Amino acid sequence: MPSSYLPVDTNHNSDENLVLGIDTGGTYTDGVLLEYESRRVLASHKSLTTKRDFSIGIEAVIEGIHIEDPAAIRMVSISTTLATNAIAEGKGKRVALLLIGYDPELIASFKMENRFATPNYYYFGGGHDLYGREKEPLDLPAILARVNEIKNQVDALAVSSYFSPLNPEHENRAYEAISRVCDLPIVLGHQLSTKLGSVERATTAALNASLLAVLQDFVIAVRRAMERRQIDAPLMVVRGDGTLMSDEFAARTPVETIHSGPAASAMGGRFLSRLGDMLIVDVGGTTTDLALIQAGQVAVSEEGATVSDYKTAVKAANLLSIALGGDSHIALSRENELTIGPERVVPLAYLAWQYPHVQNRLKILSRRARNQAGPDWLEYWFLLREPKNEALIKGDKEKKLVEFLRDGPQPVPDILKHLNLFHLNQISTAELIRQEVVGKAGLTPTDLIHIDGGYTPWDVESAAYALNSFSRHLFRETDDLCRQIWSHITETIIQAIITFLTGKKVDRGDTIGHWFFQNSIYAIHPHIETGFRLRQPIIGIGAPAGIFLQEVAKIFKTELVLPAHHEVANAVGAIAGSVMVTEELLVYPHMSREGLDVIGYYVQASDERLEFEMLDEALAYARTLSRDRALGAAIRSGADNPQVVVTELTDGLDTYRIQAKAVGNPRLMR
Amino acid sequence: MMQFVRVDTQRAYELIWDRITTLDLAPGSSINELDLAAELELSLTSVEEALKLLVHDDLVVVSPRHGLYVADINLPDLAQLSEMRLALESLCARQAAERATPDDIMVLEALRQEQTTISPEDSRRLFDVDHKFHQAIAQAAHNKYMARTLDQFFGLSLRLWYLVLPHLDFLPAAVEKHLDLVEAIKAGDADRAEAIMRDHVQSFYDKVQEILAAEGA
Repeated sequence: MPSSYLPVDTNHNSDENLVLGIDTGGTYTDGVLLEYESRRVLASHKSLTTKRDFSIGIEAVIEGIHIEDPAAIRMVSISTTLATNAIAEGKGKRVALLLIGYDPELIASFKMENRFATPNYYYFGGGHDLYGREKEPLDLPAILARVNEIKNQVDALAVSSYFSPLNPEHENRAYEAISRVCDLPIVLGHQLSTKLGSVERATTAALNASLLAVLQDFVIAVRRAMERRQIDAPLMVVRGDGTLMSDEFAARTPVETIHSGPAASAMGGRFLSRLGDMLIVDVGGTTTDLALIQAGQVAVSEEGATVSDYKTAVKAANLLSIALGGDSHIALSRENELTIGPERVVPLAYLAWQYPHVQNRLKILSRRARNQAGPDWLEYWFLLREPKNEALIKGDKEKKLVEFLRDGPQPVPDILKHLNLFHLNQISTAELIRQEVVGKAGLTPTDLIHIDGGYTPWDVESAAYALNSFSRHLFRETDDLCRQIWSHITETIIQAIITFLTGKKVDRGDTIGHWFFQNSIYAIHPHIETGFRLRQPIIGIGAPAGIFLQEVAKIFKTELVLPAHHEVANAVGAIAGSVMVTEELLVYPHMSREGLDVIGYYVQASDERLEFEMLDEALAYARTLSRDRALGAAIRSGADNPQVVVTELTDGLDTYRIQAKAVGNPRLMR
Repeated sequence: MMQFVRVDTQRAYELIWDRITTLDLAPGSSINELDLAAELELSLTSVEEALKLLVHDDLVVVSPRHGLYVADINLPDLAQLSEMRLALESLCARQAAERATPDDIMVLEALRQEQTTISPEDSRRLFDVDHKFHQAIAQAAHNKYMARTLDQFFGLSLRLWYLVLPHLDFLPAAVEKHLDLVEAIKAGDADRAEAIMRDHVQSFYDKVQEILAAEGA
């Protein structure tokens, strides 16, 4: 007789690793719940990004995603446009930059004065030379005097000393002294970069200082939102190259979150398509962003990313962003030319879906005589939310506007009539819009997609009425006008792709370049056929990607891949990266006073320096030290069994840069 | 240690520390973590973790029966703190005279310089600079254990001083002593530095004790 066996439970799956990815984009904040190993998307949610306070949009997304068991979430990872936006809009905190050993005349001669990312920069004596030797004593009394003077007018300090990566002594001494006379946070150049380029390092230090409070507030808000949903998991933030860092590291080094959003989208495209080389085109609500993936990694700017014209030392993703997206405003310029964007508005289909009376008004409009139905009637203003405090509404006209809009969305001509104005320029609406009290709606590609039947979550009829009015005003058939609009979009994107990959712009003159470009898209010439071919496939991300990119891929004679869940690929990308930490050390010769003999070799880490007699001893030690530090930091950041690769580059003249990169998947097991 | 503390815990710690030191959270008052978290707009976890750190700092007390409350201030505590600070700060001044580097002296002079720009009525600012001055001397002694210990006592003493802040009309005079102290340290005169400091701290505490006793603390 066989003995009885206990049945094996084959359905129990405790190996599931649930992770939550969030992307706070320019227009929308997306969230996805994924099973990490299988890459299955279990749930997703989209909500509007709330620029005035990002945490609101994030909380909305976390609330909106269906999570059965919050305790089962093993990691939350978030990408953010906060840093890039804060820099572009000048919303970082006020910073004083202390430059030690910089030559004011040299800076002026290269016209670098406005490159420091802050108007408050000061020069002091000190600094080191190419061999790490002090070139001038540090003028500490002057530094302390200046700090005393300005400490109540700024929120943070940044210190950058000439050649500090080779010898950070002056930055360290300045830090010690300054921290005893004032309580402001202090950022040191040598801790952010080993690049010797002094202007980039100073700019990066200043930017980092200005972003500290911004990112800290952000991380705190996300943690709060997580707790409200009872999610207790490690929080990672996406770096500008698509890799992940711990929230604590991100709060300390916020410059590394520059380009975090687009990098996450690129990683999402890669993760979902499972390909290794591709061009990522992320069609968002406001912008379309381009990135390149090579051998599974986001291509970065080795010389350092440029953000809003500031050259930094941060190795963030190499990107191109154009102001063209699903919600770009389709309108007429003053010269009666068709324009698409750069402004983003709420699609009319959405507005009508929220406010049914708008559909009625658009229907009536489509039947009116042409001269009473100009494109201005297609621009609606509406109240997004009640202003929190009355102080936001500065003047009487602005107050009247808000009151008028309380009754519901109104088209521009009615607003002008009600307020007795000729043009909206006559009232100051910028603040109301920035604070997201008032919003604008208009005709957008999203509306056209509704009519096409491609994507119809909102009111199709209103979109159709709006398009009808617009076409009639231009004496065109709707089909014809649609074709022109899509054609314009296709051409703009193709141009952007070419500029992104080649660095060249398409000119408008009577040149071969311009002819070639037009002929390749429209096959005009009867005898000469021209064309482009993109060697990699195009991965389309974002809800409108399919429609925006179909023609583009055809013209580039390449495949358009729309991975499953491409509408939320950016949020998927937030968890797709590996945890990565880089440690860099410099090895360079210890020169004698006269500069003729090599006495030994220095190994300079950011906080310690050792000397060796022989070069190979120094290099061996540097390799070991950088590897150990990278490994330790990666583990602390949440990497699982990180692997380290150590590379050695020489700057020439016996100076070496030893870089250890520790990479691992995020540690998900409890 | 703060490096390994979570960002939100650090923020909670700083905010609560501030409130306790400025007596916003009154000595002896009970602490409700939920209310505090809601008020500070932080997660409950971060507030709980921050409170644990504050218990370690002796600013918050755990009672098995009554829960968490802000540590009380009383005369016996003041006496014990005074003993410690007197002994340690005098030693500090001596060692600063022996070991101060040129950078250390520059910091002390910068603080003295700032002091001269503060009006005698601005107790709050005078008090802040005085505090920094004492911390700078501790750093100039180049003994990290002493600096760390004194830091903890500074933290506890700050509350006492906020209590007597309105009465600190003697502060300008006390702060004058700093000039002599800096000169002694610069000259490397350890005996003189120690004596000035001892006198400075002692008379300060005597005054504070007087005021507290008068208040019936």
